[in-house]
Amino acid sequence: MIGALLYLRLTSLRNLVVYRVRRLRQPKYLFGAAVAVAYIYFFFLRRLSYSTGAQAAAPAMADVGRVVAAFICTAAAGAALVRVAFAWIAPSEKPGLRFSEAEIAFLFPAPMTRRALIHFRLLSAQAAILLTSALIVFFFRRMGDTGGGRVATWIGWWVILSTFDLHVTGTNLTLARLRDRGRGFVLWRVLAVAAIVSYAAAVVLCAAAYLNAHSAGFLAGSGPGAMGRMLDGLASSSPLRWLILPFGVVFAPYFARSPADFALAIVPALAVVALHYLWVARTEVRIEEGSMALAERRAAARTAMQRGEAPASAGARPKPLPGPFPLEPAGLPEIALLWKNLLSMRNSLLNRRTVALSVWFLVCGLMVARTVLAQNARGGDIYGPIVVMLCFIVAGYTLLVGPQIARQDLRGDLPNMDILKTYPVEGWRLALGELLAPTAILTAVLWACIVVCAFAFDSRGDLEWLTPAVRAAGVLCLGAAAPFLCLLQLIVPNMMMVLMPGWYQATRSRGGGIELMGQRLILGAGQLLLALLVAVPATIVAALVLVSAYWWFGAAAPALLVALLAVLSILASELVVALWWLGERIAGFDVSADSR
Amino acid sequence: MIEVEALTKRYGAFTAVSALSFCVRPGEVLGLVGPNGAGKTSTLRCMAGVIPMSSGEVRIAGASLDADPVAAKRALAFFPDEPRLFEYLTVRQHLAFVARIYGVGPYEDLARRLLEELELADKADVLPGELSRGMKQKLVIACGLLHSPKVMFFDEPLTGLDPLGIRRMKDSIIRRASEGASIVLSSHLLHLLEEVCTHVLILKKGVKVADGTLEEVAARFSNGEAGVGLEEVFIRATGGTEA
Repeated sequence: MIGALLYLRLTSLRNLVVYRVRRLRQPKYLFGAAVAVAYIYFFFLRRLSYSTGAQAAAPAMADVGRVVAAFICTAAAGAALVRVAFAWIAPSEKPGLRFSEAEIAFLFPAPMTRRALIHFRLLSAQAAILLTSALIVFFFRRMGDTGGGRVATWIGWWVILSTFDLHVTGTNLTLARLRDRGRGFVLWRVLAVAAIVSYAAAVVLCAAAYLNAHSAGFLAGSGPGAMGRMLDGLASSSPLRWLILPFGVVFAPYFARSPADFALAIVPALAVVALHYLWVARTEVRIEEGSMALAERRAAARTAMQRGEAPASAGARPKPLPGPFPLEPAGLPEIALLWKNLLSMRNSLLNRRTVALSVWFLVCGLMVARTVLAQNARGGDIYGPIVVMLCFIVAGYTLLVGPQIARQDLRGDLPNMDILKTYPVEGWRLALGELLAPTAILTAVLWACIVVCAFAFDSRGDLEWLTPAVRAAGVLCLGAAAPFLCLLQLIVPNMMMVLMPGWYQATRSRGGGIELMGQRLILGAGQLLLALLVAVPATIVAALVLVSAYWWFGAAAPALLVALLAVLSILASELVVALWWLGERIAGFDVSADSR
Repeated sequence: MIEVEALTKRYGAFTAVSALSFCVRPGEVLGLVGPNGAGKTSTLRCMAGVIPMSSGEVRIAGASLDADPVAAKRALAFFPDEPRLFEYLTVRQHLAFVARIYGVGPYEDLARRLLEELELADKADVLPGELSRGMKQKLVIACGLLHSPKVMFFDEPLTGLDPLGIRRMKDSIIRRASEGASIVLSSHLLHLLEEVCTHVLILKKGVKVADGTLEEVAARFSNGEAGVGLEEVFIRATGGTEA
């Protein structure tokens, strides 16, 4: 049986490779592959060969690598704990294992035992884990280099990822078995969650106590060496060393510095993997229904992603919601498209993950705001510049990456394009209406950044010129320009979709090989280049008008407002041309081209 | 009225529809038939403005689809074979959206009547994901009929409908035609065409093989035999092979 499963895996892999190599005969894939290879060479391989020579001359790099590795492993252990705790707190209705829909269709009715199915799932996971471990070593070795060889690091990551995968699988199977039994399901869950929370609390308290007692001594030193010694001391302190022993055993091969260290570490680590394997393999439980539901959710997520929607929303069944505002039967058709897309956006955004993230960011934001206000009240402004910098980062991210995330526009409506094209609406109006919803969302984020920046700047010290009037004028200028910028930025990917639907559709699939990675890089670079082309005329005019107006008025606030008018007229002109052009392309868009 | 002159659609080097000309007057129902790959769907999609023609001219209710697409599209409704709906809009919200797009004005009474006629009234507040395929098809029909189009294009209109739905769909097409609509429908179900269509156009490899009233086309391919059905006519006209 395992032979048949191996045949399926290996044959699929061979065919996939052959298919992808053959696909390179098409110029778009060949070009994408060339760009991706160049990117990997210049950003990873060249640095890797360079760093190999440099590392011998810089032993301090090993300390840096170990510190980074320690942080990575701490974060990984924390994430694993949270993941397992979440599985116990909110187990899915029908826990299952990860199979594709085709695997379910062929394997579930086949004369196979449940245990064989579980082994098939484990084998599939192993293929992915081996590849992931190799990629981690290949791409990120320098970042978290612990001083061991490449093979040792690879095996170290394989142990970590395999243990995690087996543990999560075992937890899901155990939960399924407990649910099947019925009795004591809630009690077991309460006990498990209590144990995990107590364990995490004990680790955090012990670490905090150690750091409070020893930080002064370590802070006297500096650099990664001191940090490394502090982490070593922390990890070997009692009782923390006993508490983190399970994680320590699993992480030990990764941290081994020499072949002898590795040989000592790998035996207990493999024993942990073997115990986890026995746990999973010996847990008899019904997995069929849960696995089918999981496969359906994953297929829906993949379809949603190809449609341009958030994959997170695909698993949940959408709920009917009232419109974002009353839609009158007469009026501009653009508003109807805005109404439709806002409705779609709300349904995409109103899921548990988004709400939890929003609450998390809100809490963090409130804590930062409270700290900033407290600092300002005490006369210092430590956090103000940090908040301003964060706002700049968020604003830049919103402008450059936001259009790739907010897709409730023509890209999201590509499957409905044949219906949209029968509407009695001019192309440019269709384009404008489709773009309004993501524009509104991105503009709201930018406005929030602008307002927060305006309040976070402390006008004392070097920024005395930042009077309330200048501040208000600045907020007005940036706020007025924001929707224009967002709209222009959104036009770019929509233009690409209309111009190159086949190319665009191909990049909507997850993974997809090196050639699709190259295509995504090309699309990203195109977006950046066009954004610069759009911004250059407006920026030059803004600078010239601002200087002239400042010279004329002798005050910043009115100069800013005059510059705003000039910038808005440039942006509006660009927008009119871009919308007209996009509209013309939509009118001539061949829907059938997306399948070619 | 639908006027089509020398409609040609090419996909790269492949010609899907070649210099197709015909006219459908108010009250007429034209059945578009042909083997798989004959160019029926391409023809329908070109006439509905979904895909651009490579060359030719299509006039919908007097408006050129090329020169004045907005006026032409205001008069037509296209019903694709696969119901395409907006996932997050309920049945009622679909109708509100379409009413606004087509500038229908007060639409609530008409929408209610359509929903009752199509047996969707009790589903007014559910999302398409909760509808069966047949119900989705009915919702597409309700949306298409909301602006009282003078021209209608149906691509395989009976797919997914139950027997009662099929009966109602046939009656609806005949009634709309009797009220003055020009209708083109594409289907492989020849008995549907015999029951509903006044005219038929047979396509093969993108080229018109025959057109006219059912009797005219039957007479052309009957070779003097009496009582030759459309199925036999179709097989003789297309040579019994696929496109």
